[in-house]
Amino acid sequence: MSSRLRSNLWGYLFIGPFIIGFLAFTIIPMLASLYFSFTDYGLFDDPVWIGFENYIKMFTEDPRYINSLKVTIIYVFAGVPLRLAFALLVAMLLNVGSRAVGWYRTLYYLPSLIGGSVAVAIMWRNIFGDDGIVNIALKTMGIDSIRWFGEPTAALWMLIFLSIWQFGSSMLIFLAGLKSIPASFYEAASVDGANFFQKFFRITLPMLSPVLLFNIIMQTISAFMTFVPAFIISKGTGGPLDGTLLYSLYLFKQGFEYFNMGYASAMAWVMLVIVGILTGIIFLTSKYWVHYESEGK
Amino acid sequence: MTKRRPRYFLYHILVGGFAVLLLYPVIWLFVSSFKESGDIFITAGSLIPNPFTLLNYAQGWEGFGGYGFGTFIKNTIVFVIWMLLGHLISCSLIAFGFARLKFVGRGFWFMIMLVTLMLPYEVVMIPQYIIFSELGWLNSLKPLVVPAFFGHPFFIFLLVQFIRTIPRELDEAATIDGANTFQIFYKVILPLIVPALATTAIFTFYWTWDNLLGPVLYLNSPEKYTVSMALNMFLSNETVSNWGAMFAMSIVTLVPVFVIFFIFQRYVVEGISTTGLKG
Amino acid sequence: MKRKSLLLVFGMILVLLLAACSSEGSSSGSDDGKVKLRIAWWGDQPRNDYTTKVIEMYEEQNPDVQIDAEYASWDDYWQKLSPQAAANELPDIVQMDVSYLAQYAQGNKLADLTPFLGEQIDTSNMTEDYVNGGKIEDGIYGMNTGVNAVGFHYNPELLEELGLGSEIPEDWTWDDYKSMSDKAVAQGAFFDTHLRPDVFFDYYLRSQGSRLYAEDGSGLGYEDDKLFVDYWSMIAEQVEKGATPTPDALAQITGIEDDPVVKGEAIGIFQWSNQFVGLKQVAEKPLEIAPMPGPGTSDGLYLKPGMFFSVSQNSEQKEAAADFLDFFMNDVEANKLILGDRGVPGSSEVKDALKDEVSEAQKQVFEYVEWAETNSSPMGAPDPAGAGEVIELLETLAEQISYGQLAPEEAAESFRTQAESMLGQ
Repeated sequence: MSSRLRSNLWGYLFIGPFIIGFLAFTIIPMLASLYFSFTDYGLFDDPVWIGFENYIKMFTEDPRYINSLKVTIIYVFAGVPLRLAFALLVAMLLNVGSRAVGWYRTLYYLPSLIGGSVAVAIMWRNIFGDDGIVNIALKTMGIDSIRWFGEPTAALWMLIFLSIWQFGSSMLIFLAGLKSIPASFYEAASVDGANFFQKFFRITLPMLSPVLLFNIIMQTISAFMTFVPAFIISKGTGGPLDGTLLYSLYLFKQGFEYFNMGYASAMAWVMLVIVGILTGIIFLTSKYWVHYESEGK
Repeated sequence: MTKRRPRYFLYHILVGGFAVLLLYPVIWLFVSSFKESGDIFITAGSLIPNPFTLLNYAQGWEGFGGYGFGTFIKNTIVFVIWMLLGHLISCSLIAFGFARLKFVGRGFWFMIMLVTLMLPYEVVMIPQYIIFSELGWLNSLKPLVVPAFFGHPFFIFLLVQFIRTIPRELDEAATIDGANTFQIFYKVILPLIVPALATTAIFTFYWTWDNLLGPVLYLNSPEKYTVSMALNMFLSNETVSNWGAMFAMSIVTLVPVFVIFFIFQRYVVEGISTTGLKG
Repeated sequence: MKRKSLLLVFGMILVLLLAACSSEGSSSGSDDGKVKLRIAWWGDQPRNDYTTKVIEMYEEQNPDVQIDAEYASWDDYWQKLSPQAAANELPDIVQMDVSYLAQYAQGNKLADLTPFLGEQIDTSNMTEDYVNGGKIEDGIYGMNTGVNAVGFHYNPELLEELGLGSEIPEDWTWDDYKSMSDKAVAQGAFFDTHLRPDVFFDYYLRSQGSRLYAEDGSGLGYEDDKLFVDYWSMIAEQVEKGATPTPDALAQITGIEDDPVVKGEAIGIFQWSNQFVGLKQVAEKPLEIAPMPGPGTSDGLYLKPGMFFSVSQNSEQKEAAADFLDFFMNDVEANKLILGDRGVPGSSEVKDALKDEVSEAQKQVFEYVEWAETNSSPMGAPDPAGAGEVIELLETLAEQISYGQLAPEEAAESFRTQAESMLGQ
């Protein structure tokens, strides 16, 4: 009894800061937004209760909403796997003991360090412009140049390329994960005559799986929430023809440009449910593929 | 050793060459910051500034309204340091609790923590703003920095995943030696998650550096502005944006982040190997 | 090595934190019975600089007042303002845009300035239309800081080169526009770079005796969808024949810097007069301003408030705030710093005094706005709540029409149903 109480006490002592912070700064705003989602609320006037009207409107009479959902899903399901694969590949390339590697890591991380400043948008405009380097490359390969900013699908892919380009944060986490795999494991495998692919699938991937789980979940969540790149690249419009109108951007527009905060809140809670379900599924499957050293083999 | 040379050579060609390709946009930004503001888009295809000018740097560094750009950099550094302290202390404690201790409601609180990440900030922003305004914290760093001392889900989760890769036998050995829970955290776990802590530090540094919305909401006096806000001030929605100055200051603000990353990335990758994991 | 660098880092941290604490201490210690005002605006580097100087000038003349400036770029500014409004923490004086004024005024976030007019704020040198620019329902919720008017900003050298005469006549019509476009296209040049959908469709409607929004803001202000079809058919034709770049080509443009006019590929741009100075600065070409095509130019044209200064409802020093507004609008010396950056000033006295101060390009703007003063009609109510959404709808439809994906007739119908429901809320 007393030992159970003690372990509970220790547990809450350690996670206490999170609970206090949650109760102080997060729960009230969250509940408030849940309440707003059932109201007609224009930010400056008092909310008026309208029941499920916002939620119904979303799926029945707002084609822009459906479109933004579609665009976001493409963005997430194309962008996240590509970004993670790319990040893992580069992390493995940079996980060697050369002196120059520190520089390489920094250089490869540089695109991510530029972050969401407007300078990125300008760079992207230049690169994907009519006479930009991408179109020049396409032309030399004999492909017609593309109006990246004028064609909805192309514009969305451009956004996806941007997210792949800024792969640095996932790469860094993979690197940290790769580094915590004891070298002795590989040495033992080499002695057994394992080739590169065997080592990758038998040692690297299982040992990396907790970190991979983390990256998949976090990248999925943050991809669903993506706002800044879409905002700066489309100059806040989500154009052309709503081609880059990601969920968060449309939500922002509803809340702060059209002053439909109630509707925006409802959108936010639908998003929470979608992302929550997806995360839940990933967690459930993780039992079968994530390997925790601390839980034995 | 000599046998390996050609392979290393190939490695450098491949990795270095690919880096140049990836960095083309950054190089373009860098070169453009030395062009005359009006030329940037006219001569966009050229990577040689002609004429070469440092005027953008001079103009940008001057800042505006009597505040030099150095002020904004200083403010941002102070902001970053508070965030670093907050995240490193709180997240490691909380993560240890989630990863290693058994207590009632662990799964519940972990879930709650992840859920807070899933609600778009735009809709909690206003109620949260009102709370901070009631507390009298507006126009200060407090609304941005104080929550950092209560953990951040991203880093907590990250550290949890790393702690879970550490074999439990190490804890058990320490317990036998008479260590209490806090000592296990401090003496066993903490040294072993240095790479993850370094990752946390790097991310905190650059996310804070890059954070625009927070400072925009809570900092009112220009003397308190951060670099991300200041950079946007070179833009104009009505007349001509001063792209040159903006690019120049973007480069300037990239330098500290670059340096910090270069220093800390060694801890990310060297942490374990130097401490030595006795598995 | 590692130990040392860590120590160094910690040393730096300590120094910085100490510095931060000490600076915070000194700034809060200046409570000396002064009236303290907060003022917020959006703007770029030059505007922030000169406005700070104007404030310093005012503080010198009014030693008992201290004004704290809070400025940000356009996007950041509005992001900042909405939570402040929701928490009733707005600065005493806030810069407002036509597109947000109604929203903030009807949300009871702005003070009615009517009681201050003729008292703290001297309007004797301004026209009634000018002051009424900030009128919402029965109150004046923003002081107009200056006006703009739309026009055609063109390159006369290119015009001449293409054999279209040496200048565009004051009384040109849409028919002239079309025929001149034909000639430009024949020689491989664009005539213009597209007309911003909301601004110029509204101009067209006004020139035909209607307007885009109903006066009370509850719906659209035109009855006959033929107007929509006529206007957008013309626009679609212009794009089709190549007189105006296609929307996807336009989307590739970064900003004014690589605009077809700047690159010498188009004759001119239809835009607001305050954008002329920037265009001329970038283009480094001789540029002229022509009025909008007729018929009905003077009905269509109006003087649009460039921006407003409003006093917030939560301000506890509304009189002091109004006094500063008066200084900003009427003080000649202050306006020699402002130089019409926030629109052509309303006070005739200020305007006369500025004529010799402003740049060549700004002078052209002043002259055009002066001409427009006598060749325009009152603006009417500013954009109603919901206008933001309507404008985006129109932009989307306009894009689809230009791509040829949507017939103007269909667009007219779809615009009417959707816009009415957005405005009717």
